[in-house]
Amino acid sequence: MKAFRATPLLMIIPSLLLAMFIIGYPIIDLAYTSMQQVSRFGQLRGFNGMANFAEVFSDPLFYASLIRTGIWTVAVVGGTLILSLPIAMILNDEFYGRGMARVIIMLPWALSLTMTAVVWRWALNGRAGLLNASLMGMGISHEPIEWLATAPVAFTTEILIGILVSIPFTTTIFLGGLSSLPQDAYEASMVDGATRWKQFRFLTLPLMRPFINIAIVLNVIYVFNSLPIIWVMTEGGPANGTDILVTYLYKLAFRFGQLGKASAISLIMFGVLFVFIIIYVIMVMRNEDDGGAAGEAAE
Amino acid sequence: MSNKLVRSIVYWLLLSPLVIVILFPFAVMFVTAVRPRDELFTFPPSWFFSEFRWDNFVDMWTKVNFGGALLNSLYVSVAATVLALVFSIPAAYALSRYRFRGKGLYRNFLLMTQMMSPIVLVLGLFRLMVAFGLVNNLNSLVITYAAFNMAFTIWMLQSYFNTIPRELEEAAWMDGATHLRSLIRIFLPLAVPAIAVTAIFIFINSWNEFVLALTMLRNNNDFTLPVQIFSQVAGRYQIEWHHVMAATVLATVPVAIVFSWLQRYLIRGMALGAVK
Amino acid sequence: MASVTITGVEKRFGAVQIIRGVDIDISDGEFVVLVGPSGCGKSTLLRMIAGLESISSGSISIGDRVINTVPPRDRDIAMVFQNYALYPHMSVYENIAFSQKLRNRPQGEIDRKVNEAADILNLRAFLARSPRQLSGGQRQRVAMGRALVRDAKLFLYDEPLSNLDAKLRVSMRTEIKALHQRLQTTSVYVTHDQIEAMTMADRIVVMNAGQVEQVGTPLELYDRPGNLFVADFIGSPSMNFIPGRIARENGAVLLVGQDGTRIAVPAETKASDGQAVVLGIRPEHLSLRDGTDGVAAVVEVVEPTGPNIQVFVQLAGTRVCSILAERHPFVPGQPIRLGASLTQMHLFDEKSGKRI
Repeated sequence: MKAFRATPLLMIIPSLLLAMFIIGYPIIDLAYTSMQQVSRFGQLRGFNGMANFAEVFSDPLFYASLIRTGIWTVAVVGGTLILSLPIAMILNDEFYGRGMARVIIMLPWALSLTMTAVVWRWALNGRAGLLNASLMGMGISHEPIEWLATAPVAFTTEILIGILVSIPFTTTIFLGGLSSLPQDAYEASMVDGATRWKQFRFLTLPLMRPFINIAIVLNVIYVFNSLPIIWVMTEGGPANGTDILVTYLYKLAFRFGQLGKASAISLIMFGVLFVFIIIYVIMVMRNEDDGGAAGEAAE
Repeated sequence: MSNKLVRSIVYWLLLSPLVIVILFPFAVMFVTAVRPRDELFTFPPSWFFSEFRWDNFVDMWTKVNFGGALLNSLYVSVAATVLALVFSIPAAYALSRYRFRGKGLYRNFLLMTQMMSPIVLVLGLFRLMVAFGLVNNLNSLVITYAAFNMAFTIWMLQSYFNTIPRELEEAAWMDGATHLRSLIRIFLPLAVPAIAVTAIFIFINSWNEFVLALTMLRNNNDFTLPVQIFSQVAGRYQIEWHHVMAATVLATVPVAIVFSWLQRYLIRGMALGAVK
Repeated sequence: MASVTITGVEKRFGAVQIIRGVDIDISDGEFVVLVGPSGCGKSTLLRMIAGLESISSGSISIGDRVINTVPPRDRDIAMVFQNYALYPHMSVYENIAFSQKLRNRPQGEIDRKVNEAADILNLRAFLARSPRQLSGGQRQRVAMGRALVRDAKLFLYDEPLSNLDAKLRVSMRTEIKALHQRLQTTSVYVTHDQIEAMTMADRIVVMNAGQVEQVGTPLELYDRPGNLFVADFIGSPSMNFIPGRIARENGAVLLVGQDGTRIAVPAETKASDGQAVVLGIRPEHLSLRDGTDGVAAVVEVVEPTGPNIQVFVQLAGTRVCSILAERHPFVPGQPIRLGASLTQMHLFDEKSGKRI
């Protein structure tokens, strides 16, 4: 019987080792590097305590990026949620061309963020971009707009694109939630005389609560860490005006070779990320508490 | 007019702004990809152009070294998929079929690694690959992609495996099969569709990955498609947008079609697994 | 073919004890039914015999051989699963032949055996089909066929009929019994349906909360249930229970009900004066009485079932069901008198639930 019990462990150990190696090692290395003095050529020069963290916390660019990260995350996640729930409710209803509508709404998910950003960068080109072509063709504007030349406009545009690419995933979560809602409760509420709005307010919204929570947490994690859109479209520019933490971190690490400082920021971000991951794990575990043991039995 | 017809019209009207914004970049991609080079920067900017220049694709192939990047992307994505499956299938089977000490802990660990983002670790990963001499080596991506996709893969496979009744394997044992035999003759044939779907998702994830590829690969000949295309627009004076768009079309459209087709399985996997 | 001996078997999942010390002897060729409410541990016990669950303590032997640690494939047992467990990617033929292929039997022999089983089970026409294309009853037969070709020492059935509709269940019941009479293979059959147990078993094992409540032939359990649980579980509609205390007056032994109603019970009972007991009477053993005979009751509800009527009455402070063959035009509130033969009364100690 002893050998029997070892089987499942043998089956999970390879995956455990790989994950620890690829995900665990870098974290330790980051912690180590963050407390090292680093030369201009990226050589580690020995322990320097919290100096790197002190430097980060006295860096105005860090604070600017931090605030922008907050705006970026809240705006993208908020915008995505507000749009996705009605979209999911429409897609969950019967109508002509629903299959087609589903495929179209999900399309942005199928493209890599990099490619999407490259295409938008061209579409938003201040001189010949086809967005300007469309706006001018429809008479909405009379001369080309430089979408990416000034930070506020560029950042707003990037947020909108961030929302666009987050909608499919979020809508998918909501569709899964909506299809699990009990149909008979809706029929009962109709018999009880509920209006559509009241159904939404007192049935759909509370029943969708767990799905909305999950969507918030997952989107925060994804958006907070999302590099490609901003990196490809403006590389954090102009003049660091669209930098969020990840782009700032990437520049520090791979443009300016400030490994110590970059490690410190990585660790700070890891801390924030970890908090959200824990929230996510707790939420999933709570959802699973009842059904989790089904389909399992002893060896 | 019937109720459904009215509803359909209202819904489509509500969705239309989003539909236009979603389809817009696709239109931009196609229109630019087949446009003659000297009509890229006309003023005022316009959607219209004089002729379809299909040769753009041919020129692009050599100018952008599309073929090389394509092979790199294929190698990395296929190898990462195989590696992730090799690690994930046994783990998913164990999760689905056995009770064991530390199972809950292991599942939490998986959930955590699933959410772990490469960008936060990118510097540490880079230093890891430097230490192992794997920078500028496609295998650095193979290993990291496999590791970062593993949690999702195990999670997804496990939820599919749970739908294959364990009674079938038990019946095979009663019929006289060994564990290995029942795995090969009964379990695997039934699990093939699930494994295939999961494999395609790993493949697409790897195919689309950008940050790690950008970091680990420093040599033009090693670039995967996203990095290769990015390198055509990043820090250049003269961007050959018609080539860039032609490359984007070729790199994304096949994957997008497969993804759209398989997307409902992803929903199902998520519904069964993490997001329940 | 073989006997099965289960001695002091226990099963624990962590801190939870599912089976709490079970002893059962099954002789060669016997058809034994394990019956009990869901969660009583009957399926777990069956799966332990099969080798699909480990045994926490105690031992199980087939013939003279203790098989506690023998893997399922080497136990020479055939099993029919609740959901049939047909291999969905194999045809009916391949499903039945699978065990023989695993043993590398020659093709001719496999063909002969599969065809033989198919003939017995009327499956000849379906051999090439896939399980998906079969009805519930046909799938059930394939599962039986798979067991049949094994020539196993022991057949195990895990609620095999629970997914069939009522009519099919009755006919499959007969078929399984006929098959057993023909093959005489020792069989252990798990069900939660006491009628299945009564109709099919040579002997019934009634289980509850991980323990054996009583073992006996169907009629033994019906006629002399050993405790309140078995009395309640066997028989449909189930036995009436009238709580009260024992009193002895003028040589007669009486049960004094909670409302003071006095019912004569068998004089030879060992119950002592004043002992709190429960009197059990089956609905079918109650009959209508005249004059001062029997005990007063008030009609509450009448339910005709066709062959007879079920009359629910208030009797000695409890609701009692009586099955009467005559179609009396009772109305609610009508006073009647009911009685039963002393030989068909069962007395149980109220505290222990044991038969007195």
